[in-house]
Amino acid sequence: MSQVLNIQNGKIVTVPEVATIEEIRDEIREVKTFYLSIDNKEIWNNFKYKSGQFIMCTIFGAGEFAVSLPPSPENDRFHITVRTVGKVTSALHGLKPGDKVGLRGPFGNGFPFEEFKGKNLVYVAGGIGLIPLRSSIVHALQHKKDFGRVLVLHGARTPDDLMYKENIKEWQSFEGFETYITVDAPTPDWKGETGFVHTLFDKANLPVENTIAFVCGPPVMFNTVIGELLKRGLPDENIYSTLERHMKCGIGKCQHCAVGRTLVCTDGPVYTYRQIKTLGEEI
Amino acid sequence: MTMFLIKKADVGNIAQELSREYQIYGPMIEKGSGQTFFDRAQDLAEINLSAPIPSNPPKSVVFPQMERILSYEYDRAKNAVKMEPDYKIEPRALVGLRPCDLAGILCLDRFFMGQEFVDEVYLNHRKKMFIVTNTCVAPFKQCFCVCTDSGPAAGEGYDLNLTDLGKECLVEVGSEKGTALAAKLALKPANDSHLAMKKEKVDKSIAMFEGIAVDSKAWISRVMNRVTTGFVKEDVWEYVGDQCFECGACTFVCPSCSCFNIADVNNPECAGCADRLRTWDSCSYEGYSRMAGGHNPRKPVEDRRNKRFFCKLSYSQMKKYLRPGCVGCGRCAWVCPGDIGLPNVVTYVRREITR
Repeated sequence: MSQVLNIQNGKIVTVPEVATIEEIRDEIREVKTFYLSIDNKEIWNNFKYKSGQFIMCTIFGAGEFAVSLPPSPENDRFHITVRTVGKVTSALHGLKPGDKVGLRGPFGNGFPFEEFKGKNLVYVAGGIGLIPLRSSIVHALQHKKDFGRVLVLHGARTPDDLMYKENIKEWQSFEGFETYITVDAPTPDWKGETGFVHTLFDKANLPVENTIAFVCGPPVMFNTVIGELLKRGLPDENIYSTLERHMKCGIGKCQHCAVGRTLVCTDGPVYTYRQIKTLGEEI
Repeated sequence: MTMFLIKKADVGNIAQELSREYQIYGPMIEKGSGQTFFDRAQDLAEINLSAPIPSNPPKSVVFPQMERILSYEYDRAKNAVKMEPDYKIEPRALVGLRPCDLAGILCLDRFFMGQEFVDEVYLNHRKKMFIVTNTCVAPFKQCFCVCTDSGPAAGEGYDLNLTDLGKECLVEVGSEKGTALAAKLALKPANDSHLAMKKEKVDKSIAMFEGIAVDSKAWISRVMNRVTTGFVKEDVWEYVGDQCFECGACTFVCPSCSCFNIADVNNPECAGCADRLRTWDSCSYEGYSRMAGGHNPRKPVEDRRNKRFFCKLSYSQMKKYLRPGCVGCGRCAWVCPGDIGLPNVVTYVRREITR
């Protein structure tokens, strides 16, 4: 059972936990990573979550937003990676180390990792779609012996839009960990692959048997990649993604994240493609 | 079940007794407009149990249109945050609630308190509430509670239930709080003959639907299958969507609609102070499902409209909340400028089935 901030005995408490920004790192244009620690040490020490879950973050004076948890649940500093897309995320980008934010969560289902044991894991991420998958990737890296091949395929618009460049370099050095990178619009100094992310499938000799694929990225990329995976014979139920919606409460009450008959905050954000197909809504 | 009788002239004593502990809400006819509103009674004599169904449901008493759920102060100079949950909830009594509106509150109960997470704010409202329902001995024009199993008599969930038997009212007790109140009023016990009289009244009320409740009919059970299995043709939803003005009125007058938005509002008089408010929201609004960055998975209006009717009319909702999301009050049909209240939509879907 994960320790949940602000949820006690199934009852939600509306007050967020105060956290301090320890460090801020620039990732790519408009995207920064914020390293955080929760001020209440007792809660901080017991704070646990599953990869794939998300958290609600309050920027005092601006509002609250939902953000995925990219660090692995184990042995990693707690951080969030956020792009400026609206009022609240812009306010976050204006903060400095030492400033306070509020946190509620973690919410959502997370990846069912127990079911992935002994399988090949394929991560396909377009642009900042790598953020919600990072947690699971690092987890797989820490438990490499439990899995077969582990592949990370990352595509971005330009070399400047590639996420977590430092991390990817690190991952490449791990034995049995394969990373493939491509960009759509290369700069003159780009020496790597060009083309959309699914064009890497052949180069990577993508496994199909006994394989779980994780797909995350903009809607256009999502549809193309899923189509390609299905064509290669990957079954619907072995393709996972995390959905994004406008969220307010995180506990299934405000209904802003309703997709079909499910709610992203409680039934998601992790869905299999088999589920997504039946939701009857755009991604 | 414990039952009592109260003289009709003494019914006001119930509100009077409750007013010692509770703020009293009830149906009142507004002078001038002649419309009935369910509102807080400044003068208990204003409560009118024979008034027509109120224009607004009592939803706002238990789930206010705008409510502060948290206030905080961020002192940047000291880098200190002060936060406290801030919802001041007074004990409130709803007197003269119609059975459909009680069904609406029970829908909200199941939704806010009956799932994995309990909504603390709602729970606090609900704990401090006393409910006196009023059996509808005759329907009103727009009623169709007989189609939604929510009237004309309340089945459960009240503290006291009143039924007009002519000179006297039958008082049925539905909770410990109700028992305690009945004891305070020292009421005369009722017997099975009075219950039989109530049954007669209710049967007569049901029989009157055909002549009086002529505005709306909604054969919901037949439509549920179609809505749930997704076999309603696109053009039906498109037609419904084309009629929608996206005003949100249907959701705001609906006794069971519960979607809300949350926003932090800064206090102009105190630097760093803000209130977190939750306010009603409507799935018909274009901005409802729009995400930061502008992507909106539910762009066309018909997509948003069919989501509302799916919410009211699907088996999956039935399984979760044990009844359809509609309670048959007819208010959505009453307020909709596009004429796509729920009964009409049910008709459109059925017409397609029978065609």
